[in-house]
Amino acid sequence: MTKPAEQETARIEIKSLSKSFATPVLKDVNLSISKGSIHGLVGENGAGKSTLINIINGLLPMDSGELFLDGHRYRVSKMRDAMRAGLSLAAQELSLIENLSIAENISLKSFPKGIVLLDYASIKQRSEELQKLVGLTEVEPHTLVNKLSLAQKQLVELAKALSANARLLILDEPTAALTGPQADQLHRIIRERAHQGTSVIYVSHRLDDVLAVCDTVSVLRNGVIVHTGPSNTLTSQMLIKHMSGNSLLTHEHDKERAVGKPCLIVKKLTTADLPNPIDLTCHQGEILGIAGLAGAGRSELLEAIFALTDKTSGEVSVITPNACNTIETPQQAVKLGVGFLAEDRKTQGIFAGHTIAMNTTIAKLNRVSNRWGKLSDLVEKLQVDGLIKSLNVKCDSADQTIDKLSGGNQQKLLIGRWIHAEAKILLLDEPTRGVDVSAKFSIHEQLRELRDSGATMLVVSSELEELTALCDRIIVLSNRKHVASFKRGNWSHDDILAAAFSEYTNEKIANEKITNEK
Amino acid sequence: MNIQALTRFIEEYFIFISLLLLVAFFSLSTDHFFSLPTLTTIMNQLPALTVVTIGMTLVLISGGIDLSVGAIVALSGGVIGAAIAQFGLSLPLAIIFGMTAGLLAGFLNGWLSSYGKLPAFIVTLGMLESARGLAYMTTNSQTVYIGSSIQQLAQPIAFIGVSVSLLVALLLVIASHFALTRTVFGRYVIAIGTNETAAKMSGIDTKPYILAVLALSGLLAGIGGVMNAAYLGSADPNAGLGLELAAIAAAVIGGTSLLGGRGSIIGAFIGVLIISVLQNGLAQLGVSEPSKRLITGAVIIIAVLIDRWRTKE
Repeated sequence: MTKPAEQETARIEIKSLSKSFATPVLKDVNLSISKGSIHGLVGENGAGKSTLINIINGLLPMDSGELFLDGHRYRVSKMRDAMRAGLSLAAQELSLIENLSIAENISLKSFPKGIVLLDYASIKQRSEELQKLVGLTEVEPHTLVNKLSLAQKQLVELAKALSANARLLILDEPTAALTGPQADQLHRIIRERAHQGTSVIYVSHRLDDVLAVCDTVSVLRNGVIVHTGPSNTLTSQMLIKHMSGNSLLTHEHDKERAVGKPCLIVKKLTTADLPNPIDLTCHQGEILGIAGLAGAGRSELLEAIFALTDKTSGEVSVITPNACNTIETPQQAVKLGVGFLAEDRKTQGIFAGHTIAMNTTIAKLNRVSNRWGKLSDLVEKLQVDGLIKSLNVKCDSADQTIDKLSGGNQQKLLIGRWIHAEAKILLLDEPTRGVDVSAKFSIHEQLRELRDSGATMLVVSSELEELTALCDRIIVLSNRKHVASFKRGNWSHDDILAAAFSEYTNEKIANEKITNEK
Repeated sequence: MNIQALTRFIEEYFIFISLLLLVAFFSLSTDHFFSLPTLTTIMNQLPALTVVTIGMTLVLISGGIDLSVGAIVALSGGVIGAAIAQFGLSLPLAIIFGMTAGLLAGFLNGWLSSYGKLPAFIVTLGMLESARGLAYMTTNSQTVYIGSSIQQLAQPIAFIGVSVSLLVALLLVIASHFALTRTVFGRYVIAIGTNETAAKMSGIDTKPYILAVLALSGLLAGIGGVMNAAYLGSADPNAGLGLELAAIAAAVIGGTSLLGGRGSIIGAFIGVLIISVLQNGLAQLGVSEPSKRLITGAVIIIAVLIDRWRTKE
């Protein structure tokens, strides 16, 4: 022990932890959490919160740095290590197995075993106790998880995390689906556990909750901890200021640009995931940004416009000089000149194992075939070669399989797919996710060119800088509600962030639950 | 030719080279393999398996599977037998009925698995049972003699030396290879089999294609039934037992992925040839039936291992 005896060793100590993917995500993070303390962790999307949590739990390796648990070096390379060391995680993306019962899910990490078979009586008993603790008494322990509502699932996830009697409890957005009273009960439990000596890391968008329940709060910005302080010295306005860092969002062309006629009109659109009606009008030659926190309903809005999810009310229409058509299916959307660049390139975008040409022309094969449906390799090659050149894709030839290209080049080709399809309206979900910086700039340049040629774009991005660099207008979604819109030149990082957080205050959530329950 | 080019050549034509090696091996190790009677036997057995394999390959590439093809072969034969023996219809009309039966069964498979949103595996497993049952019903559970008129289809035509059945099968191989590699239809089938979500997001209405591919597989199995009946001269309710597995094996040997999105009709046809050559060659070597099956099974697994090793790089 090198430390003086009177100074208590921290429960967990993170020393100069760094991690980068294509770009640095965490830079020299130092954090110390004492025994029995509840530590809040807040930050914008992409600030590095999830990465930090994943590293502590062994889901991601770190590049450099050291971790200590109660003064001992803590090495973690997989989730089991973390569990053995006494960590317990309630993940934001719930880790429940849908086809198992509540009781089985709760006991999954450590099944009490009988001589040969599972000891179902004690599994059930444990489940009952924990369900009572978190206030999930309306369902039996043997109920299958897939029968539960989202809020109930979240309670099961919490019960599962609490079952371990951990040294360090990590809660990632634990109240996202909970009502006010449920959240209050959770906070009581956390305080009780903290009182008994458990340390807690509490990550949430709900700044009021963070300030109310935590002893200390740290703010992450761009992978750096920019502020740590006792919660009673902080307000949510101060937290937002720390998160945004008062960064200047001025750009070269900061003037408002002239845009064309309306071409996409969204009227009172609602879906199962977007209960609050959304109205939007997009114009020719306009880039409209959609900002918001993760889970605010941004991707859901794009998917609803493209008719990938069913509408519950409202309509989406595409206006051309001659006609006004509503979008009812993705096929119609594509026919009307709407293209969709999905968030997950691998599962929703590329056709793996096939050529660049095949991947590029798929959305409009009648440009490369005759009227009998016979494809022309020559025409296809000419068109794809043209796109490869204009998009500056680094590849050997159009016959190369797309898998071998870098993420950035794949992404360029997926945008190229819609250029080839002559789409006039592009819905772009995280257009530069997982691409390196130079590819990112080149994609931005390409999007501006498309805009100048009269195309309309709706861009969802977790990076505010990306939106402010590209967009003519930014709308903000908060908790699945359209809460604000800003024009170029009239926005500031603080204002956008404050709007993004605005529907996550306890008062607003309480009101919403009351109206929903009516 | 340098070594690199040679390796690439071997990789590209790997299955074809394997087939040639197999033929060479049996020709050298047996007295009668490389002879007219063996060739005739192989050519007689080929057509039905070939057309059924074409359908199977298309279905596999689209990301589905069709377990009902063997039963549909029997059903088609049974319908032809009943049409001629019980209703006294002419042969061309009976053949049309047999093919229609296959098409209808395939259409039902396709409709249930696309618009009905049921897994193709389950739907076609049900169809396997039902079509087999119908085959027994149409033939009264007995082999129905059809007559020599249908056998003409399986006899070699003068001068060409190839039967009508085999000719039709070869033409279908070429036509479907063209459809898969050179048409919008084929491109869509490949896209859907590779990544159905991405296909939908590219504006492809996936359901009609999934339906079409299974309907086509049913029709091809119906044609296979005609060819089988022509080969036997009769309608056998037990025809095509296990044919679906032979077709899957041929497709897989030919480089088709069971996960969808990858495969080749020509490759699958070579797969059919490999299986036929293996069966007949082993028989000539005097290998017992159980050992033949053991070896065939091993060849299928080795083929997939080699294929994975080749495509991984």
